[in-house]
Amino acid sequence: MFKRKKPKQHAGFRKETWQLTLLAVPAAVWYCLFCYLPMFGVVFAFKNFKARPGEGLFKNLFVNSPWVGLDNFSFLIRSSDMPDIMFNTLFYNVVFLITGIVIPVFLAILLTEVHGRTFSGMVQMILLLPYFLSWVIVGYCLYGFLATDEGQINHVLKIFGAQAVQWYQSPQYWRGILIGIGIWKSMGYSMIIYMCAITAIDRSLYESAALDGAGFFDRVFNITLPQLRTTITTIFILNIGSILTSDFGLFYQVPLDSNSLQPVTQTLDVYVYKALMQQANFSYSSAASFLQSSVGCLLLIISYLIINRMNRDDA
Amino acid sequence: MKDMKNRRFIYYVTVCSIIMLACLDALMLGGCSENTASDNDGDGIRLRVVTYDNGNVPLDAKKVIAAANEVSQQKIGVTVDLEFQPSDKIDLMMASGEYYDMVFTSSFVNRFDKNASEELYYDITELVREETPDLYRIIGDYWDCAKIDGHIYGVPTLKDMGSENMFRLNSDYFEREKGMKIPERMDFADIEPYLKAYKEDHPSEYPLEMSKGGAAGYLNFLERIVNPIVVIPYTAEGEKPRAIAFWDSEELMNRFRLLHKWYMAGYIHPDAATIDSTAADKTIPVRWGVAWKGYQGYSNPSDWGFNVKTSIYDGPYISRTSEQGAMFGICAACDEEHAKACLKYLELLGTDRKFRDILGYGIEGTHFEYLPNGTVLRLKTGQDRYNTRLYLTGSVVNASVESVSTDFLADPNQWEGVYEEYRTDGIYSRTNGFTYDQTPKEDIITALQAIYSDYAAELRTGTSDPDEVIPKMRKRMKAAGMDELLEDINSKLDEWIE
Repeated sequence: MFKRKKPKQHAGFRKETWQLTLLAVPAAVWYCLFCYLPMFGVVFAFKNFKARPGEGLFKNLFVNSPWVGLDNFSFLIRSSDMPDIMFNTLFYNVVFLITGIVIPVFLAILLTEVHGRTFSGMVQMILLLPYFLSWVIVGYCLYGFLATDEGQINHVLKIFGAQAVQWYQSPQYWRGILIGIGIWKSMGYSMIIYMCAITAIDRSLYESAALDGAGFFDRVFNITLPQLRTTITTIFILNIGSILTSDFGLFYQVPLDSNSLQPVTQTLDVYVYKALMQQANFSYSSAASFLQSSVGCLLLIISYLIINRMNRDDA
Repeated sequence: MKDMKNRRFIYYVTVCSIIMLACLDALMLGGCSENTASDNDGDGIRLRVVTYDNGNVPLDAKKVIAAANEVSQQKIGVTVDLEFQPSDKIDLMMASGEYYDMVFTSSFVNRFDKNASEELYYDITELVREETPDLYRIIGDYWDCAKIDGHIYGVPTLKDMGSENMFRLNSDYFEREKGMKIPERMDFADIEPYLKAYKEDHPSEYPLEMSKGGAAGYLNFLERIVNPIVVIPYTAEGEKPRAIAFWDSEELMNRFRLLHKWYMAGYIHPDAATIDSTAADKTIPVRWGVAWKGYQGYSNPSDWGFNVKTSIYDGPYISRTSEQGAMFGICAACDEEHAKACLKYLELLGTDRKFRDILGYGIEGTHFEYLPNGTVLRLKTGQDRYNTRLYLTGSVVNASVESVSTDFLADPNQWEGVYEEYRTDGIYSRTNGFTYDQTPKEDIITALQAIYSDYAAELRTGTSDPDEVIPKMRKRMKAAGMDELLEDINSKLDEWIE
């Protein structure tokens, strides 16, 4: 931000701003230590890692383990249902990409229109609360509703004389359930980001629009949404980077790893976990995450370039 | 004035950065310092021993180990740092090359055959004969299960070497109330009338214990080459053993069908495939068990609230897998001195009963007491604070036998009877000694494991109909290279037989 106030300066190190640059040091150190330094680990994906006990990691990795090229990726291709797994991963991520923007924006707009402070605070808190629950807890709470014998939903169904449903053996319902749960858990958190962006919008725009006779929808579509565009683009770009990564907790813990639900819950992360749970093979798991990260990185760069082309200001 | 502000600001930032770096340093050093625990410590050798425990580290472990160390220091000059680690931690430790002296290894946790064929363990073929002849003698024929290409890479723990599967029934209900007889042995299918009787009396309960892991030891009647996908059925003399996919075992399929029938009849909980544990529900009248003749641990009435009788339906099956139920492997990176110390320590555990009982049951008077007939009774403190299974800490046969209460005494010479039964009634594997090196086909096996886990829980709990599910699974597994794997195993098996 400070750069904008001194438009004549070029980006980079300047005598007047070096204290501010210094502020970035802790973050830079953190990124170096935990993100750039361990990057040599991609080597795992191309080696047949065999550790000899008592020898250092570097010697084990670089000297003791042979190069195997792309062999470590073959277990991903071996599975004949890789297309289904990829479909699930992309399907859920695209749905979450869209709903993860539309619903929180919608909620944020609604909430800023609420003027009662207590009420708005309470709604915010209720929406935010699920974000802090762990997936394991969410999974068991859901089990409380969906259990065949003791579950609340089947109790209600029985009252109306309907047959009890074996929820954990009925995959047809689970795409909806998983998407619902996923949105329920994350929407409060993303909503806060948009609410901050909305409060930063200049109020006088709304006032003058109201004076000119603009209704609620006119104001939303002509002021709020255009002003939010930068924030939405940023979030979109950030999320597209993890398009092949799925929330393991949502797809493994919430359905309690039920076998029948596998056709709708198997995403790439779940598959990798299941495949490697018994094997403890570092090379295979780094091959899988290398694939995820590189696809994510590629998409991120592409979408950044596209958006940059479309509007230089947003990106 | 502005200058001073700036200076103060810089001062703050610097201090903050230094504190942060110091914290990081402390973390890193803290992580490293663990490795130095197994150094020589003055007058004796200190060993880092890692054993397995699925999440329940005994509360009094430190005290008990200290007591054991006093004795072992005096007798052989060796002390241990005994750690209880869950299975995935041990796998990680092995895969990352962390240093240890001795580790729990077996056919089901920290797989011995895989690690030994990668030479992660010390070759003790010569050492054990020269340094610890007593240990070598007491293990006798069972050394075979620790051999890879004729070399010994581990020390088998003497315990129940075959697997016997049993039903544990509420005898108060079945015998006294219903007048049904519980025989000492029965067939798998014979349990049905008991389940039916209970269900008729208690329509809203589920008489057969079942959780997502399935019945305890449900694959024990097959020898597992690639657990649990490729198996070798026990064959009669003269028949040629062959590795087959598990679905080709007619016996296993019949059991899956029976379980499904029982599931549909309401004998098994409808959500069994998603339930982690049934331990909290004490009312279940029919449970599964894997133990040996005379084992009392399942039968303590004060644990269950009713008398329990066991009825064996399988076994004893004796194979490489069952013999490898518990072992210790010595780290390949050990120097000879440490390797010797490990063997000496295991020898002491295998020959000195008083010493063995410390690691097994705790401190005499605090955790357990000796009963007049020579068996051991765990005291309340012992049950709460040091209740670990015997095979995790060394020889089971050399430990005193446990009685579950003063008026329900165990036979102190129980093991002689058990080993006698193995000799007379044991069903022995014809392929004992055969190991399959999984490394070249690891990508296929990994893919197969993932497919298997898509169906396993529902198959073994009876939730799904095997005749419906197995064809689907077979199709997927064939596509992932099942035939290639079977062919490879069978050609290796043929070579081995010749």
